[in-house]
Amino acid sequence: MTWRVSADIGGTFTDLVAIGPGGALRTRKVSSSVGDYGRAIVEGLGELFAECGIAPAEVEEVLHATTVASNAILEHKGARTGLITTAGFRDVLEIRTLRMPRLYDLRWEKPAPLVPRHLRLGVTERVNHRGEVETPLDEAEAAAAVEALLAEGVEAIAVCLLHSYANPAHERRIGEIIAARAPGLPVSLSVDVLPEMKEYERSSTTVINSYIGPVLGRYLTALSRDLQGAGLQAPLLLMQSSGGLMPAEEAARLPVHVVESGPAAGVIGVQMLARRIGLANAISFDMGGTTAKAGVIENGTVTRAGEYSVGGGIMVGSRLLSGAGYQLKVPAIDLAEVGAGGGSLIWLDAAGAPQVGPESAGAWPGPVCYGKGNAQPTVTDANVTLGYLNPVALVGGALPIDAAASRAAITEKVAAPLGLSPEEAAHGAHLIAASNMIRAIKAVSSERGRDPRAFALVAFGGNGPLFAAGMARALGMTRVVVPPSAGVFSAVGLLASDVEVHLSRSWRRLARGLDPAALEGAAAALEAEARTRLTAQGFPPGRIAIRRAATLRYQGQSFELQVGFAAGEGPALVEERFGAEHERTYGHRAGAEEPVEFVTLQVVGTGLPERPRMPDRLSPHAVTPAVPARPAYFGKALGWLETAVLPRDALARPVQGPAIIEEYDCTCLVPPGATASLDHFGNIIIDLQGEPSA
Amino acid sequence: MAPGIDPIEFELFKNALFSIADEMALTVHRTTYSAVLKDNMDYSTAFCDAEGRLVAQGLTLPSHLGSIPEALAAVMRRYGDSMAEGDVFVLNDPFEGGMHLPDIFLFQPIYVEGERVAIAATICHHTDVGGRVPGSNASDSTEIYQEGLRIPPLRLYERGRPNETLHALIERNVRVPVKVFGDLRAQLAACTIAERAFRELVARTGVETTRFYMNELLDYAEALTRAALRALPDGEWRFEDHIDDDGVEVGRPIPLKVRVEKRGDRMVVDWTGSSPQVKGAINNTFSYTRSAAYCGVKSILPPNIPNNEGYFRAIEVIAPPGTIANALPPAACAARGLTGFRMVDCLFGALAMMLPDRVGAAGDGGNIGVSIGGWTRERQPFIYVDFTCSAWGGRPFADGCDGNSHMFANMASPSIEVTEAEQPIQITRYEFLPDTMGPGQYRGGAPFCREYRFLEEEGVLQVRSDRRAFLPFGLQGGGAGAPSMNWLVREGRAEPLPSKFCITLRHGDVFRLEVPGGGGWGDPLARDPALVLRDARNGLVSLDAARRDHGVVITPGWTLDAAATGALRAERLAARGPLPSISRERAA
Repeated sequence: MTWRVSADIGGTFTDLVAIGPGGALRTRKVSSSVGDYGRAIVEGLGELFAECGIAPAEVEEVLHATTVASNAILEHKGARTGLITTAGFRDVLEIRTLRMPRLYDLRWEKPAPLVPRHLRLGVTERVNHRGEVETPLDEAEAAAAVEALLAEGVEAIAVCLLHSYANPAHERRIGEIIAARAPGLPVSLSVDVLPEMKEYERSSTTVINSYIGPVLGRYLTALSRDLQGAGLQAPLLLMQSSGGLMPAEEAARLPVHVVESGPAAGVIGVQMLARRIGLANAISFDMGGTTAKAGVIENGTVTRAGEYSVGGGIMVGSRLLSGAGYQLKVPAIDLAEVGAGGGSLIWLDAAGAPQVGPESAGAWPGPVCYGKGNAQPTVTDANVTLGYLNPVALVGGALPIDAAASRAAITEKVAAPLGLSPEEAAHGAHLIAASNMIRAIKAVSSERGRDPRAFALVAFGGNGPLFAAGMARALGMTRVVVPPSAGVFSAVGLLASDVEVHLSRSWRRLARGLDPAALEGAAAALEAEARTRLTAQGFPPGRIAIRRAATLRYQGQSFELQVGFAAGEGPALVEERFGAEHERTYGHRAGAEEPVEFVTLQVVGTGLPERPRMPDRLSPHAVTPAVPARPAYFGKALGWLETAVLPRDALARPVQGPAIIEEYDCTCLVPPGATASLDHFGNIIIDLQGEPSA
Repeated sequence: MAPGIDPIEFELFKNALFSIADEMALTVHRTTYSAVLKDNMDYSTAFCDAEGRLVAQGLTLPSHLGSIPEALAAVMRRYGDSMAEGDVFVLNDPFEGGMHLPDIFLFQPIYVEGERVAIAATICHHTDVGGRVPGSNASDSTEIYQEGLRIPPLRLYERGRPNETLHALIERNVRVPVKVFGDLRAQLAACTIAERAFRELVARTGVETTRFYMNELLDYAEALTRAALRALPDGEWRFEDHIDDDGVEVGRPIPLKVRVEKRGDRMVVDWTGSSPQVKGAINNTFSYTRSAAYCGVKSILPPNIPNNEGYFRAIEVIAPPGTIANALPPAACAARGLTGFRMVDCLFGALAMMLPDRVGAAGDGGNIGVSIGGWTRERQPFIYVDFTCSAWGGRPFADGCDGNSHMFANMASPSIEVTEAEQPIQITRYEFLPDTMGPGQYRGGAPFCREYRFLEEEGVLQVRSDRRAFLPFGLQGGGAGAPSMNWLVREGRAEPLPSKFCITLRHGDVFRLEVPGGGGWGDPLARDPALVLRDARNGLVSLDAARRDHGVVITPGWTLDAAATGALRAERLAARGPLPSISRERAA
């Protein structure tokens, strides 16, 4: 009898999930204990174990996604950090790229640098882009800089010198100088954190590593101690932003990889589902109270972005406007996010056009129907007015609501000014919210040359399954999948993840005439490092899988595309694959004479488990009281329709929409014309191939 | 909302259309060959209706805001009747729809069942379009004929077939045809994406409803604009500033004068009284002057107004022909960016009088253009183009931003390491300059200095800077920012260079650029001493300047001497006269 346990900390709730023998799935939502996040985990697990009769000794792994690192950045509560740069370049971190994320905004403020200017010191040295030393390191100056930072009481030092990816000797020497003067002080060398070209991105990433390291280290030490105190001896693993797991000790050393761990877990869960049920292509759609996020699984694999920013705000329709937040150049599951959730406010602009979000009523005061003092209707109020949500209470009866208040607010603030009935206005708001979220789906599909119709939509989060079928239909997608325990699905996704090591390095070469041995040698060196790290984590050679990839571009372009290649595949093949990818993504490729350039080499090493991480079928422990059918509104043409309200199990035999599936943690809407059924894994499958009956 | 409109469907349509314009912009961004497009985002994408009215512009370059209508009107005049499916039109002639020669416009009409329903538009600033100086943006040209290849509205594709003659002509007249054609392909790709997405939209919405809603989008933007204008105070405000010179008649100031009149739901931005057109290449087309006005006014309006012609309807822009704000042939205009930036700043000067609690002092004056070009030892062409700026002016509620692009062009700086790997240039310094910000209760933003060491045997350096004689102004008692400076360091000796110049570089030469500082806002003696201490601690303000400008006394242990500060401030306040509302000089 063994159990695997996961904990996903969110701003409001911490979701706990345990998977046991035969796919038994036990879940629990507890309030996050802000300031001491570990306490909610340990206490919540204790309750869950007691309820389900799990002995702590039966737990073989604890998997964890946490917001501790991102909160330290957003709240400026990281370590007091010093930065050493090449002389003349200490302001690279603060100048950033000059660009701002908003146009026409006289009130724009740049985010304050994580290291203030007086803790950023330059030292005389220079290496060029070929790695040749042009000016030797002035060691006395370096030592003086270190002494000055120590005198300032820094808790960590980051070092980022120009072109160190091409020759790290000076950075390494400064690392030695620090170690000699302050043994044990955490030091982040940019060559260890991100051996890639582009000084601003490398500086920012290295500084963040230093800045959050001590905070995350303290948190993990305390959590491990508390877990052990509760009898849990199992290893603790953390989710990386890239979607792979990492042992807690490794995360403390390279914390920059675990900054955005929660959202990644949900997409990994979708990847697992897609493989299980034979879906090659899926779009994940995660909608909660304030934001909605979309990601892509293509050919069974998640897509990753090479960089992102923390606190970058929400992508509103376009990712063109960069410059907000704090830049991290580490692999991350590629997510597009829009400010649309159950709490998003519905309002009319000065010309009388209805708008939804991005302002949100949040968890407090929340939608009008919560009766906590908000008078402006929200998306949830629209869904209550339409009959989609239970008119009496949500969260399995734990949260009583006032449906009349929802309807009154919609009437007063939206319907009356527009000359519409309350249900017409609510339906309109539902559609507008959906159209905002569709932009997130387009950002990860059609904007990359991928046709969303070739994908299934996998919806989760508290509100995702309410909107999924309508959005899918608007995009011409024909299939929606709602997984078991959809409301805590990110925590389920943690349990589906593998241990991964992501490595990359700048490697600029023209593909034409490139010696295949040079490519093989460089890739093999990265691969060897990945194997070394995984071996150190206890994986024997037979349980290590390696994927190689390169990013390339037409020489002169400034944006790269990633293509995979296997050991033994040479530059010519990689070049051809790049051309095909360029055509697929952008609709054209340059002539054969156009030079193609390698920019980075990447290796992902995966530590494979001894047996499959997920059982063949998940068996959630569901207790759902019977709920009577109720009228729900489906637009002018269809009007109000009497709609059955069912538990998930009722879909064992296919059901025609309209229907509503009510569960403890989420509600799923099956619109008219759609058919819903259950697959062998316990997923709700909504088939949209039938035309809506209007 | 007009009667008969379904407000919900309209909102859904609007979302869909603007998402197409943004998707076009993203396509250019990802497929471009030039840093000017990727890093500087010096391009725009838009959607027009079948008659050529701008309906939706993507979120890219503010300085292109007013350009599409004039450019498309030029195409419609020539080809309105003969336009056919598969045609693509191109132009860059500033005197027939363009702005300056490097900005190449591409238009592709979109047909549904044989009927023209919309026109997709893209503008890209190309790395080079020929002419006497690499990069095609010299400020010291005196006629458009020196500035490069001039393309009137022509068909680049006719019914899907490429115009071979035009392709061949372009290929022979630009220095880096691979980049130019790569970027033209990016523009075409954006139009292809637009066509595909738009046809899907029409398939759902229907042709007639699409036309109806496109028209309605213009009325909607106009209604939003007028509602916002009504909420602003009525009145008339004037502001004046000067560009140092045009780089040809060195030392001869160029006046910019603006009159802003706001009555009810309309606004007038009038440039009458500004300089006649000048010899140097900083003359604006009227469309560029309109862009500057639209950008400045948009900054004081709510953020949700769509970028389209409906917004323009409520704002009248006046600029007499033959002036720097509306030049006539054969004026040179390649470096007109300078004038555009400074018109925005001048307009902000007037708007600061209209809305003193919202609009602040002058920033660094916008982009400084640095082009380094030539031929390598292997006779390969190289062109490095850097548009850079740093400092915002102090604001009525906060300091000016340090190291931030100008409102008129949201540009990014190229990576130093990438520049060094691709160009025969080494950057030897890139950091803030202390004691250069205009003092104030809210100080001006910090500028930086950037040094370029040249590594080829010979090349041409061309620079367009300004704000050396006429400084970034301070407001409400705030002081002016420090001037810009250019230096050539050759064989260890630093020689000053003028603000606009074109010189030959030799191996090992270092060009040092110093960006001007932002102007301050409000009484410098009212500045929070803790902020002065922070700036001093960070080496941005010297201890001397802290005393002199702000009356703040800081101890050697980095603490405030509150008593000495109070005494010094009291002494200063007693001794000084009233503060000027506009400061254009640095304190001695």
